[in-house]
Amino acid sequence: MSIPALRIAGLQKSFGKPVITGLDLMVGAGQLYALLGPNGAGKTTTLRMAVGLTEPDAGSIEIFGIDARTSPQDAKAITAWLPDEPMLYDKLTPAEYLGFVAGLWRIPPDQAAPEAERLLRWLELWEVRDTRCEGFSRGMQQKVALAGALIHDPQLLILDEPLTGLDAAMARSVKDALRAAVDQGKTVIVTTHILEVAERLADRIGIIAGGTLLAEGTLEELRALAGSDEATLEDTFIRLTSRS
Amino acid sequence: MIGWAMRRLPPGSLAWLTLHELRGTTRAAGGGKTRWIVGALVLLGYTGLGVFFGTVLADEPFRPGPLAWLVVLIAAILLFTFMTTQALLASQRTLYEAGDLDLLFSAPLDPRTIVSAKLLGIAGGVMLTFSIFLLPILLPVALLGHPELLGALALLVALACTAACLGLGVTLLLARTVGPRAARTLGQILAALTGASVFLATQILNQHDDRRESGTMLLFEALRSRGYGSGGLSGLPGRAAFGDPLAMTLLLGGALALFALAAWGMRHAFLHSYRAGGARPAANRTAKGGIARHFHRGLFTSIFVKELRLLLRDPALIFQVLLRIVYLAPILLLAFRDGRSLPMAPTLAFTSVVIAGQLVSSLAWLAASAEDAPDLLKVAPVAKDDLDFAKLLAAMALAAPLGVLLPIGIALETIPGALVTLVFTAGAGGVVGYLEVAHAQPAPRSTFQRRQKGGGIVRNLIEFVIALLLGLAAGVVVYFL
Repeated sequence: MSIPALRIAGLQKSFGKPVITGLDLMVGAGQLYALLGPNGAGKTTTLRMAVGLTEPDAGSIEIFGIDARTSPQDAKAITAWLPDEPMLYDKLTPAEYLGFVAGLWRIPPDQAAPEAERLLRWLELWEVRDTRCEGFSRGMQQKVALAGALIHDPQLLILDEPLTGLDAAMARSVKDALRAAVDQGKTVIVTTHILEVAERLADRIGIIAGGTLLAEGTLEELRALAGSDEATLEDTFIRLTSRS
Repeated sequence: MIGWAMRRLPPGSLAWLTLHELRGTTRAAGGGKTRWIVGALVLLGYTGLGVFFGTVLADEPFRPGPLAWLVVLIAAILLFTFMTTQALLASQRTLYEAGDLDLLFSAPLDPRTIVSAKLLGIAGGVMLTFSIFLLPILLPVALLGHPELLGALALLVALACTAACLGLGVTLLLARTVGPRAARTLGQILAALTGASVFLATQILNQHDDRRESGTMLLFEALRSRGYGSGGLSGLPGRAAFGDPLAMTLLLGGALALFALAAWGMRHAFLHSYRAGGARPAANRTAKGGIARHFHRGLFTSIFVKELRLLLRDPALIFQVLLRIVYLAPILLLAFRDGRSLPMAPTLAFTSVVIAGQLVSSLAWLAASAEDAPDLLKVAPVAKDDLDFAKLLAAMALAAPLGVLLPIGIALETIPGALVTLVFTAGAGGVVGYLEVAHAQPAPRSTFQRRQKGGGIVRNLIEFVIALLLGLAAGVVVYFL
């Protein structure tokens, strides 16, 4: 059996009141995994703990078998994080930004520069590679951030609401990019409020509510859990979360 | 209290909108409950001091004359420059950062009311700031025996209204002439220069004088010898502050007339700037050639290049940093004054260490705290210590061109002295820079025009004392070499 891309066990986090309460989650390698949940369910907190931005109160996090709490740098080296607000520098150009990110991940220039060019061309940013990001639309900023996330060839890509604020064309190109990443063997975890995206894109879906994993599986497995074979993901989601 | 007053006013009226602006200004001051409690206690203590002065001076007769009027004139000039600085920055925030203009201009309100409320909000904010410093002393003294001093309130209102008009007027003029993007940078530079103008003027006067008197005294004498402050227009502030009804009426009436005229006249310019401000600030640059030049080997190079780029692309911030150095100029002037009594090399060594310390401190603060993407650095596989060290080195490297200037000057007199100065300069930069980096509080760079440097007064003071001590040590060593 292959090593899971992400394994979370007994995760707990409290911000004055409990937010994550003993969460267990396992995401297999090479999957596109959608993490769904109502507002305040703890999706973002869980993912921020997975990438080392928030310290858990208890529990373990492993990324491809690497203990992310005791060996954070090794785990970070193979992980990319893309939050809903792109982590960009307004006054840097996309090319300069990618150069900086490559430096942080210590990718040799002779390897990073061609990869950056490939990403910029693929994401249709090549023509604006020398324009500062401050004038970019939300969608273009998201694409620059996506290029930054991919420049170091991560094995696990974690995205928090990657489609927020994007127009239809831009959302399509981001979805295509995520699918392509999975086709190349990478693992992608996304949180989204757009259930149609999860329904169409995800190999497996996890539903989180009240800081714990409520249900997990393929769409068919979730439908079966909800007791309705014909239901949409939206119906299934509402039935499952209303039970909690 | 503002909310209480707003509930009793007709919504959408000028007074209602102005109170809304003031509510925003007071809330922007921020701070938690503890800060408000500490602030209230300090204010209470300060008012107690005012009551003490008021009691002591209650039976002392005031006989204001040309000398007192001149003192008030100089104080008013100083106050006006600071108020204009604040008004310039507040105007910029109103136009480019507040984010409420879309809402206000989409509401069924007369644009003149909105512009007037914004202008009143700027004036009110300015007045509020300076009232906190002046009124706790002024009011008790006035109420306990010298009611004529209430005229100073009229002066304060007049100065604040005029500064608000000037601040908004200059901001709009800049936006109209150089465009919204450059206007922001130029406005910030202008604000910094205005704030420092009196200081710079006194330093220049001081430099050309052989009598070793302070710059302010020289300004005082220069104005007195020309008859300023005793009569005519220049006498108005002094007379108004001491309760002359005619002077008060003229000053207040003039300022309010100017204010009304500005609110009426700036309406179109304000709307134009607001609409232009919404435009995307960056023009597309034609992309040319490959991108390999942007990729570097090693963490330090990547951090250094990034920090250098961000700094060079933010002239207003560079200016702010350099202005801190300008305030240290008097130390340097000691070494170059005619008939100086201090030896050149040790003085330069001392100056080099202190200035470099301040410069590295500011640059390290920018590198560590003016961080648009702190989460990017946290998710990167880099140890925090390595990152902090790289940022510190980047700050020191950026300061190096200025840091070596004075040691080169010392080298003309003593080469060992220059080497010692270099070591102390680097040491001071390293220590104070480390303090900044280790206590970084990352926030977007765009918010830095209104952020206080570093972690407040205590850390800045500690850093300055460290630089001073190392500077003194350098001076002493160079002296004995």
